[in-house]
Amino acid sequence: MPRFTFGEWVESAVDWLQSNLAWIFDAVKAVLGGMYDGVNAVLGGGEPLLLAGIFAVLAFWLRGVVPSALTFVGFALIDSLSLWDEAMATLSLVVVAAVITIAIAVPMGIWAARNNKVSATLRPVLDVMQTMPAFVYLIPGVMFFGVGVTPGVIATIVFAMPPGVRMTELGIRQVDTELVEAAEAFGTTPRDTLTRVQLPLALPTIMAGVNQVIMLALSMVVIGGMAGAGGLGEKVYAAITQLQVGLAAESGIAVVILAMYLDRMTGALNERVSPLGRRAAAKAAAGARRLRFTHYKPGTAVAMAGVVVLALIAGGLNLVGSDDGKNARADGTDIGQGQKINLGYIPWDEGIASTFLWKELLERRGYTTDIKQLDAGPLYSGVARGDIDFQTDSWLPTTHKDYWDKYSDKLDDLGSWYGPTSLELTVPSYVEGVDSLDDLKGQGKKFDGKIIGIEASAGMMGTLNKKVLKEYGLEGEYEVVSSSTSSMLAELNASIKKKEPVVVTLWSPHWAYGKHDLKKLKDPKGAWGEGEQIHTVAHKGFAGKAPAVAGWLKKFELSEEQLTSLENEIQGAGQGKEQDGVRAWLKKKPGLLDELAPLPAGAGGTAQGKDAGKTVDLGYFPWDEAIASTYLWQNVLEDRGYGTTVKQLDPGPLYTGLAQGQLDVQFDSWLPTTHKDYWDRYKDDLTDLGSWYGPTSLELTVPSYVEGVDSLDDLKGQGKKFDGKIIGIESSAGMMGTLNKKVLKEYGLEGEYEVVSSSTSSMLAELNRSIKKKEPVVVTLWSPHWAYGKHDLKKLKDPKGAWGEGEQIHTVAKKDFPQEFPELTGWLKEFELSEAQLASLEVEIQKGGAGEEKRSARRWMDANPDVIDEMAPVGG
Amino acid sequence: MSRLQAEHLYKVFGKRPDQAVQKLQSGTGRDELRADGTTAAVIDASFTVEPGQIFVVMGLSGSGKSTLLRMLNGLLDPTAGRVLFDDQDLTALSARELRKVRSTRISMVFQHFALFPHRSVLENAAYGLEVQGVPRAERDRRAAEALEMTGLAGWEKSWPDELSGGMQQRVGLARALATDADLLLMDESFSALDPLIRRDMQSQLLELQKRLKKTIVFITHDLNEAMRLGDRIAVMRDGKIVQQGTAEDILVRPADDYVASFIQDVDRSRVLTAGSIMEQPEKGRSDAQLLAEAPATVSAGTPIAELFTPCSTSGVAVAVTDAGGDVIGVVPRSRLLAALGEEPRVETVLPAPRDIEKVTAGA
Repeated sequence: MPRFTFGEWVESAVDWLQSNLAWIFDAVKAVLGGMYDGVNAVLGGGEPLLLAGIFAVLAFWLRGVVPSALTFVGFALIDSLSLWDEAMATLSLVVVAAVITIAIAVPMGIWAARNNKVSATLRPVLDVMQTMPAFVYLIPGVMFFGVGVTPGVIATIVFAMPPGVRMTELGIRQVDTELVEAAEAFGTTPRDTLTRVQLPLALPTIMAGVNQVIMLALSMVVIGGMAGAGGLGEKVYAAITQLQVGLAAESGIAVVILAMYLDRMTGALNERVSPLGRRAAAKAAAGARRLRFTHYKPGTAVAMAGVVVLALIAGGLNLVGSDDGKNARADGTDIGQGQKINLGYIPWDEGIASTFLWKELLERRGYTTDIKQLDAGPLYSGVARGDIDFQTDSWLPTTHKDYWDKYSDKLDDLGSWYGPTSLELTVPSYVEGVDSLDDLKGQGKKFDGKIIGIEASAGMMGTLNKKVLKEYGLEGEYEVVSSSTSSMLAELNASIKKKEPVVVTLWSPHWAYGKHDLKKLKDPKGAWGEGEQIHTVAHKGFAGKAPAVAGWLKKFELSEEQLTSLENEIQGAGQGKEQDGVRAWLKKKPGLLDELAPLPAGAGGTAQGKDAGKTVDLGYFPWDEAIASTYLWQNVLEDRGYGTTVKQLDPGPLYTGLAQGQLDVQFDSWLPTTHKDYWDRYKDDLTDLGSWYGPTSLELTVPSYVEGVDSLDDLKGQGKKFDGKIIGIESSAGMMGTLNKKVLKEYGLEGEYEVVSSSTSSMLAELNRSIKKKEPVVVTLWSPHWAYGKHDLKKLKDPKGAWGEGEQIHTVAKKDFPQEFPELTGWLKEFELSEAQLASLEVEIQKGGAGEEKRSARRWMDANPDVIDEMAPVGG
Repeated sequence: MSRLQAEHLYKVFGKRPDQAVQKLQSGTGRDELRADGTTAAVIDASFTVEPGQIFVVMGLSGSGKSTLLRMLNGLLDPTAGRVLFDDQDLTALSARELRKVRSTRISMVFQHFALFPHRSVLENAAYGLEVQGVPRAERDRRAAEALEMTGLAGWEKSWPDELSGGMQQRVGLARALATDADLLLMDESFSALDPLIRRDMQSQLLELQKRLKKTIVFITHDLNEAMRLGDRIAVMRDGKIVQQGTAEDILVRPADDYVASFIQDVDRSRVLTAGSIMEQPEKGRSDAQLLAEAPATVSAGTPIAELFTPCSTSGVAVAVTDAGGDVIGVVPRSRLLAALGEEPRVETVLPAPRDIEKVTAGA
């Protein structure tokens, strides 16, 4: 038979589509991506356990008590496996794909049921959709839509649609023809026959089809993961390719839990939705006498109410924001300013190592990153499209020649960071008498006549078969077993455990050399060819988009020792914890961050502290001077090369955290009075680094325009002017007690004035309002306070000293702080702010508003450029 | 009350139906056509149903009776011929108009009841009204009335699968009656019921008919049923109507051997009437004498089954009177026995009145 070039024809069709119809694909991608993002925002946005609660309420509504409890346990388990976000991503994908599929499949099925020609035409189309291997249309999908959610959704729709269509058609056709005839005989229109008779009776079968659609959609998640859809699928895929059995099992369990939940729920939906199902359920409920409560299902209204309540709680939590302390790990100045860099890697060890390294470096420089694992083909395609910004594991000129050739006009080569690599045959060191490829000849029996190779498509396998075996006359004696990288490594591992001889294909760099004692077989004839270089390859134009990063990548270099130690660290960190491995490695190599990602000259505060690279955990409670000082120090520390975390807590938990060493330092200890209790309780576990502000004072304050009232004495007899009210704060505050018990008495103001307790914010609002209307008002206030910077106020003098002594604001740290942060301790001990400085800083923070404290502090620092050198001097 | 006329109805399935009709009209046989791949289901069926009549179409499976019925309300389009309902040609209506007619003027009752399992009994009975667009309260009321008429009061909230076969068919009947349609088409409606229930339903139908006087076309394969229900009966075979007439006509004057073989199992005593077997009384006896001597006096329409008891008690003939009380004939014992045993004589021509033979009354 002559060769029928169907494949070429398909290829040219794909090429043509890619060039000419890109706008359609982009539109589809936008729509699907938007739907996915919307669903994921809802599902992934809330507290996991609250959402688990919502799922459980739904299960309760549909199936009763026991399934509800099991649902909650199942989802809680997913959360405990730290797979919640991935599970919600997968669920979003399944939901989007299933909804679209059902929206298309059911009408098609109805149409096919009523029209035999349509049915006959659809049948072969559905057959193809159901049986064509998903990869066949996944690759063009990646080409058309880029890596991400869209190809996964499309592939899922294609695969899951046939049962939806078929079951719908079947269900309708199977409705008793006598019933359809009866409807007709009584004059029903065809459309009404469909809605009144056929659909209600076909509904159980259609629901079975829907159920199948959802199950098939779930089964596609792993395939979706290979195209960058994220979620559990990507986790499973990553785990498989990296031989991480445990991680694979965990992700697999999560998929199973999702599947079972969706399966049971859609099955039970039938009961609620179709009249026949409802009848069957009523019968069953009537029949069950024992354990009635297990069969109890609440009415729809009750269930809806439950879901709404939980959803409101979840939404409310989101708005309030649970953690004010964003775990910002920005070493050094924020160069990236949040710019998004998309990373991708092939699961080869040096790719994983270099990519996660750059993820960490970029994040520390203020970039946000997204990271995806992909196979070589989709990865190059993604970089060419621009979905991925750069990848660091391009073996040129040989191994990835084909990819480079295909996409070179859309790629930029940012230079090599490692080389030369080598390819070799390797044996464990304990294998005697075999040190070079020459030695293999005649020793075939020792190795069972097998050389364990990797994927048949890999470049080195070609070289092995075509050149190496020939050069050394090993054909016939040795058979090259193609498998996969992971299988080859597993085989190596197994043989080493049993101390058996084995010869495998391997390459350098590879972490296996760090893990096992191996020897590379020498290649005197040079059959393996020249070594290659590992290049960083970026999307064309990347240098324009992120010049700083491009500059770093061009200069990026690692030695063999560095690379293998990094790879080993990552291996040691365990499954799924690559980032932790990188951090541990960077900790051992201080200064590498600045070497690899140096700050551009001229950026403010480039001088690094001696302890740069360390991370300080700051805590604060939401008092204004605490916020001000904490965010000020955060900026200063980062400028000096420290890492910081910031957490907001109430005073009690804050002191406890310090005492236990979970936090390092806090800046707002009012001593000796206000925080006496805390200090007394924990002083053995705390270090007092001295006061940076004082004395504080408590006072009654009036706007400057109020005439004739300058001291507390003057208040007597002027009650009418102020409506007999002194505006106070929370009645529990210490100063309110002092006011009521001492101040009023001392100055004889009882009876004439009523102290109104409210809250700090209400008091400030009242002050503001009165000042706007130029009305007299007297409020409780204290110094330091930003109000003094904002309004023109005067503190009423206290000649009798009724308010007591002022206090000092201390910096208090955990016990071991001085040993751990000697340089910082020195700075903190000398730390001081004047009243004017503190007030203006607080005003700046007020102006910036909630959530912008760090930036507001930065603005203040820019306005006061000498402050940083005063606060944190660096020698020389 | 409406008048239904079927005129020369044909139904052919397969290729080129119009040609097939022409061939049939020119005398080609059904089997010949089947060899060509066309099936002639109904061939040249014509009949009239008078208002308020029950017209029974009888025949074996494959005779075309169900197909014929479905042509009457347009569920199947006739290949040729017309159906006139109160002089309106149903075959010429558009689909929409036809649906209107179906929902307001024609109802149907099915062999296997065709109740919607996802609706309650009341909702099923109200279905025809729902199609008409009657508001809920009114249609529930009328459906409930129809259910009461068929003896199912109190079952409105039940579900079809909770009812026995007979009760289900009553729902089907109620559904058909609720719409107040003039024409009722009943497709072997009682064939799926057991014999006792079947009898009950037949009685009920006859009861209802006395009150409602609907025009009914009833399909069955059971001759006894046909005889009991039908004011007029049409016997179908292989698509053709082979005989039309009253029950007695068919019984006493079967048109051909086929019909004759049908009626073999009929209980003649319930079909034949005194009037059809009576003789002239002996000359010279007065009415009063005859009446006084006779063991019983019956009307002409009395089934002969009711004559057994009187004839067995006395050798004297039973007197048959007309509405006015005048004696119009007598039925001696011997005549009664003879009538029972008589083989039906196949006659294709309507017979002239028989000669009456004098038989000496025996002791």
